[in-house]
Amino acid sequence: MGSIKIFVKAKCPKCPAVKEIGMELKKEGIPVFHYDLDTIEGLAEASYYSVLSTPSIIIEDDEEREVISWRGVVPSLQEVKQVLFGANS
Amino acid sequence: MSALIEMKVEEARPTGVRQGLTEEIETTDMALFVRTSDEAMNDWDRQRIVDALIRETYVDLDTAKEIAREVEDLIATSKIRMITAPLIRELVDTKLVERGLEQARKMHTRLGMPLYDVDQLILHPNKENANVPHGPEATNLTLAERIKKEYALLSVFSQEIADAHMRGDLHLHDLGFVDRPYCSGQSLEYIKRFGLSLPNSIAMAKPAKHPEVLLAHMVKFAAALQSHFAGAIGWDSVNLFFAPYLVGMSDRELEQLAQMMIFEFSQQAVARGGQAIFTDLNLYWEVPKHFEDVPAIGPKGEFTGKTYSEYMEESQRFAWALFNVYLEGDGSGRPFFFPKPLVHITEKFFQTPGHADFLDHICEVASEKGNTYFVFDRGETAKISECCRLSFKLEQTDLEDARQPWKMRYCALQNVTLNLPRIAYLSKGDDTQLFSKITEFVEMAVRAHLEKKLFIEKLLSLGEKGPLALLAMDRDGSPYLRMHRATFLIGMVGLNELVQIHTGQEMHQSRQAFKFGLKVIAHMKLLTEKFGQRYGMRFVLEQTPAESTAYRFAKLDLRYHSPKSGHIVKGDISRGEVYYTNSTYLNNSAVLNPIERVRQEGLFHPLIEGGALTHIWLGEARPSKSSLANFVIKTFRQSQNDQIAFSPEFTTCNLCNRTSRGLRTSCAYCGSKDVDGITRITGYFTKISSWNKGKIGELRNRYRNDAFLEQREEGIVLKAG
Amino acid sequence: MAEIKGFLETSFVDWPGKICSVLFLPHCNFRCPYCHNHPLVFSPEQYSSISLKDILNRIQPFKDWIDGVCLTGGEPTLHRDLPFLIEEIRRNGFMVKLDTNGSNPEMLEKLIEARLVDFVSMDVKAPLDPFSYRRSAGLPIDLNSILRSIDILKRGMVEYEFRMTVVPALHRKEDISTLANQLRSGRRLVLQNFNPENPLDPSFKEIPPYDPKVLKEMEREVQGMI
Repeated sequence: MGSIKIFVKAKCPKCPAVKEIGMELKKEGIPVFHYDLDTIEGLAEASYYSVLSTPSIIIEDDEEREVISWRGVVPSLQEVKQVLFGANS
Repeated sequence: MSALIEMKVEEARPTGVRQGLTEEIETTDMALFVRTSDEAMNDWDRQRIVDALIRETYVDLDTAKEIAREVEDLIATSKIRMITAPLIRELVDTKLVERGLEQARKMHTRLGMPLYDVDQLILHPNKENANVPHGPEATNLTLAERIKKEYALLSVFSQEIADAHMRGDLHLHDLGFVDRPYCSGQSLEYIKRFGLSLPNSIAMAKPAKHPEVLLAHMVKFAAALQSHFAGAIGWDSVNLFFAPYLVGMSDRELEQLAQMMIFEFSQQAVARGGQAIFTDLNLYWEVPKHFEDVPAIGPKGEFTGKTYSEYMEESQRFAWALFNVYLEGDGSGRPFFFPKPLVHITEKFFQTPGHADFLDHICEVASEKGNTYFVFDRGETAKISECCRLSFKLEQTDLEDARQPWKMRYCALQNVTLNLPRIAYLSKGDDTQLFSKITEFVEMAVRAHLEKKLFIEKLLSLGEKGPLALLAMDRDGSPYLRMHRATFLIGMVGLNELVQIHTGQEMHQSRQAFKFGLKVIAHMKLLTEKFGQRYGMRFVLEQTPAESTAYRFAKLDLRYHSPKSGHIVKGDISRGEVYYTNSTYLNNSAVLNPIERVRQEGLFHPLIEGGALTHIWLGEARPSKSSLANFVIKTFRQSQNDQIAFSPEFTTCNLCNRTSRGLRTSCAYCGSKDVDGITRITGYFTKISSWNKGKIGELRNRYRNDAFLEQREEGIVLKAG
Repeated sequence: MAEIKGFLETSFVDWPGKICSVLFLPHCNFRCPYCHNHPLVFSPEQYSSISLKDILNRIQPFKDWIDGVCLTGGEPTLHRDLPFLIEEIRRNGFMVKLDTNGSNPEMLEKLIEARLVDFVSMDVKAPLDPFSYRRSAGLPIDLNSILRSIDILKRGMVEYEFRMTVVPALHRKEDISTLANQLRSGRRLVLQNFNPENPLDPSFKEIPPYDPKVLKEMEREVQGMI
């Protein structure tokens, strides 16, 4: 399993929901990286992944290849888990 | 002796200046004649020095008189047989310096050029801008530019900014045109509705009744605009706005009109300084969403009672005809250099019937001649392209303006480019230092914009009686130049070299290096937003075309940051053909296939709001038009790239007038050695013989995706994806 | 497995409508005097071989962009294990185009029947008579093989085109229409302009190619012959 990258902005109505998903997953030991598009690091990383809208979530494999992404939409925790742990979780 | 008057002092009677009697000499006793630029001979008059000092500087009358007398003494005691006015002025200046009156000396500066330089200029072509041919008009332009440039650096900009420009920390573009805005985007609707009625012009023309007349108005207006802007003039939705005039025209007539349009704009080399008008034609296959329900303006400037969506057919036929003309090329089969056609590819493009055929058609032109620019407007954005690659995303207020399209007039006031490698040399590998230096440089660019804005506002405040009357004219409730909608461009040169100096790797060499490049641009982008809010102005990043800037910066850094810079600048130092990689581009010679280039370079594009472009150098290859179409579609769907253009290379023969593919040393048809190579320099096609040395260095290095045989000889390099 | 001596990652030239990678296989049984890939024919050992695995690894990340792989040469059908090479490429999800001179109809038929190729581009050198063909191919050629290959393609089991490189010293206008008459393949006959840069026979360097406009006109004409 790889990692999760979460892209948010300060003034973004749907971002808190995604941050929450990130917190949940972190609790379960998944590496979660937060990027704020109002910072240099965050904006650069977002550009690298062509993230143009917030919130966005990208799941990557160990070799930093994109497995799946949600861009500008908020998935349910369930959906994200399904990708991470397979259908049985 | 005002600052700009050219004067020559002649000694009428060599013996007239008596030595040893200087104290008693009255001015009239000096039998010197001063020849002024208003072609009058004036007697020597010491009082003129006094007058000039009082008029131009802040020195008091006593000091002025003292200086005048001292200078007169100097001339009288010297054995100078021929005295020139510039020399008198310089002598006065030395007196000011002796008294520590530095500011007064600056105010008293004389602008002009050495005889030798003027001689060189008249005899040799200008290589700073390949779009300026060599001729009397062109030298006039250059002479005027030189003086205005000096004026700008002394008087428009603060010393700090002027010095930064001279040092090459940044580059203030088009200083020779300091009294004009930089570039602009136009709406045909303005002349359709108001006709051609320009301030100061002799005859006022009512709105056009016929398409040919509309074209004539467009060309004249473009010429008028060219003399009020430094750079490009872009026209929005040209085919659509012409459409109401084209109803009922046959294919032949349409093609005739298309031909007239392209030839008119390509042959405007009789305009300013013999320089073709840098014209962009923005074209759409569909009726752009924001114009669908807009009432159409037709002959006589009257509303036709229909909306633009009802003119799709005429609009499409005209676009098709324009590309027929591009496909043919000029009289000897060469590609047209201007006007540049920019086709906007949008979601709606793909929903519009006939788009596949049209895409093939414009790709055939791209393959055969290279003219086509593919502009990608993804999602809901609409854009207007004006300069080399400058484009604006239309915002909400603009979309409201679109209801009255004649309001859609845009401009960029100035372009300031930062020397990014310089920042890296100065920061010596320290991250914190690097990012704070970038802030410092961006701040300087912002200050330069504030200073230029102040100056242009001063000129505009003189209204229709002032020098920028055309831009101040008011036909629809607001001045032609809408200052509130002006953009201030901040460009960059050599991101690749910045990354190379700072991290040891070029951007194409590793993922980390590439990401570092993104960080730099992200930083700059956030800064423009911050300053935009602070000053209520629109600062945007732009990929500077940097035709000569990339060369200038590299040369200056070789001087100031040697030996380090010697390993960094690209090109061939021994030939003096040096350059930095343009803007955010990857190394021109890097072995990257077009997919990588389009994808990777495209990742920068969302950060560069002012517009960005990726070149695909085709070299000699003549690609399949449908393969290019395939690539265009994938670029739209699978990348963030803003704009692409395919650039073939040609050799045109000056003997048999035929044009062949590839860059050759002799004509493929008749063998003549009298040939010119033609390809894209930055944003336009020109003859290579007119290029500056930095650009020639880059041309040698361009990786053309066809060099496989050479590579095979060295064993091909397979890089990790 | 057949050695690969050249690799172009992306081409807009070699497969109409597609973006493809191009693999160059060595050796050829023709000696066309205007050939500009002749080092591949005479001295392929001067080029290092590239493993198919490396190539596939390299193009895998561009799978959304690259539609297929074009096999050219030299003459690819000279390699008896060509089908294996193609199978490996197809397993990686790429379509395959074959460039051939038509001298190996057995291989051609086999590849088509096994549905291993998606497009075949066959070079036709001259009007289909032994004398003309020999002049253009630089060697005596078994014309029957050529004719059989043409027949196989014209069955329409696979997309195809006939490609003719037009060299002023070898082909007069009449020759092109003669060939077009023999082929009767309409728009599937494509004319290519001769490139005097680095030809196999150095004397061909001096030959000026046809004016592209004239060639285009000829193409339009012969494409009308069905």
